[in-house]
Amino acid sequence: MEDIVWYLLSTVALLSAIAVVMIPKPLYSAFALVLHMFMIAGLFAMLDAHFLATAQIIVYAGAIMVLVIFVIMLLSLQGAEERPSLLFSVASFAIVAALARYIVPRLDAAFGSSGTDLAGTVKSVGELLYTKYIFPFEAASVLIMVAIVGAVILSKREKKDAA
Amino acid sequence: MPLNYYIVLATILFSIGMFGVILRKNTIVMFMCIEMMLNAVNLSFVAFSKFHGNLEGQIGVFFIMVVAAAEASVGLAIIISVFRAIVSVETSDSNELKL
Amino acid sequence: MEWLILFLKVFVVFQVAQGLASLCVWVERKGSALIQDRIGANRAGAFAQTDILLLKPVMPIIRLLGVLGIINTLVCDAVKALFKEDFLPENTSNFVHSLAPFMGAFPVFVAYALIPIAPDFTIAGYYIRPQVASLDVGILFIFAMGSIAVYGATIAGWVGNNKFSLLGGLRTAAQMISYELALGLSLVCMVILYGTLDLYEMIEAQSTLLFGFLPAWGVFTQPIAFIIFFIAGMAETKRAPFDLPEAESELVAGYFTEYSGMKFLLFWLGEFAEIALLSALMVIMFFGGWDIPFVHYPETWWGALIGHAVFMAKVSFFCVLQIVIRWTLPRFRYDQLMTMGWKMLLPIAMFNLLLTGALKLLM
Repeated sequence: MEDIVWYLLSTVALLSAIAVVMIPKPLYSAFALVLHMFMIAGLFAMLDAHFLATAQIIVYAGAIMVLVIFVIMLLSLQGAEERPSLLFSVASFAIVAALARYIVPRLDAAFGSSGTDLAGTVKSVGELLYTKYIFPFEAASVLIMVAIVGAVILSKREKKDAA
Repeated sequence: MPLNYYIVLATILFSIGMFGVILRKNTIVMFMCIEMMLNAVNLSFVAFSKFHGNLEGQIGVFFIMVVAAAEASVGLAIIISVFRAIVSVETSDSNELKL
Repeated sequence: MEWLILFLKVFVVFQVAQGLASLCVWVERKGSALIQDRIGANRAGAFAQTDILLLKPVMPIIRLLGVLGIINTLVCDAVKALFKEDFLPENTSNFVHSLAPFMGAFPVFVAYALIPIAPDFTIAGYYIRPQVASLDVGILFIFAMGSIAVYGATIAGWVGNNKFSLLGGLRTAAQMISYELALGLSLVCMVILYGTLDLYEMIEAQSTLLFGFLPAWGVFTQPIAFIIFFIAGMAETKRAPFDLPEAESELVAGYFTEYSGMKFLLFWLGEFAEIALLSALMVIMFFGGWDIPFVHYPETWWGALIGHAVFMAKVSFFCVLQIVIRWTLPRFRYDQLMTMGWKMLLPIAMFNLLLTGALKLLM
């Protein structure tokens, strides 16, 4: 049962990732990426990282992608770009396959095939975040603040020049 | 599922994202591909964390998400201001150093 | 057996969601008529006659339902929508056009999986918690579903392929993201107060008394959070006074201008299901769920049934209250909307969060 869910999630994740790259219209790319984010969230949930799965949906699917779709719609980019060539895609898969061929046997030897019973619940992640990693956490909030101010300045400048 | 399945999946996703950045000319799509690469790395982090029994990988993912959110706001603001200047989001159109 | 119980839970909760949404539709039509001093729907089925002897005893009930407008809302509207032409604007893909109402309604119904609808009970040796999924992330999941509900309206606005729809979709995205912040912060206050993310445990935490006489409901312990949650939640449902995305005097019908028939009805259903979901969340977090002061429910099926009835009564009250507000208040101006979201609700919510944290530390 779990295997079927895993294959389903990873297949859809792969297909939607390819769709992001291959679809000429940016808006459809964005839709494919939203689907991709959900699949990744599902994989997180399968790895017992419940907090991150939810955070993935809230942050990526709920905030970042809405912003991206917002921008695409605002700039009304209907997309006239040509499709990226298939040759490159095939080449990329060849490289990846070669890489995977090299990595996989070494991983199996190093980690074994069974996971630990670690669960990334809200409580455990939160505890670590607010004790050991409190400084990076606060720094991250400053980073967000700087990003907000930066975004406002970047998108406002045009108006100031005109006035 | 054993760890290597997750890692192979993450590797493939990362390289799809990377090729997207290389092949596409639309900056918004390139931006989305970067997000996809970050996601692939996140996936490998969470998988390693699970198989290592160490929660700190998930903390790393949390901070990647924070950085991605900051990157999204600033990146899209830059894309919008470039669009205002040259009325295009294609990288091939922004070929002048001065407007 | 486990699967059967799970299936029954899903079935019951889905029926509750749909029932509440239908109730909202009826109250919307009849209540709006009352508020505007009209009579409202009272014809369809009101004069029903039959020659079949077997159906004779049922006819008075059908006639009563007809007079009350229930047949009109639940049967006639649905049949009309089913047979209506499904209009598709030029140069749009049918797939995306159909995806939008689905994306609008789907997350709302998924979020119901987290709503506990009755107290725990034991039946035939099985201990049952009437909640489809008790996830570790609890209310965060509902918040996540709320944050992806914005896609439906946004996609619909884009696929309409005209300026009005697009403006409606953009307004929706901006409004929902703005009010999500205040909504989230008021939720965080409640999470800090109860020390749990699980909705069931939140209800249990409210079953005590404050000062010996006041029920420890969230509305008495966190009045500011309640007001913020109520306002921000109403903004999330995109209805008057927050119906800027579909402002009919400016934007025709906003993001669903190009929708008709069943797709339009699906938007409607999602909207009303969202109202009911918001009411359920308010009852769970601020009004003690099925809790009545000084009453303890027995852990039997009839105890759970009474608890469910109390819960539904409270939820219905808030559904009706929201509809009354929707038909009473005029629409905001767009700058007023944004000012209220960012300059009023957000700072107040942050201050409230600070206060809650400080009080929690001191106590």
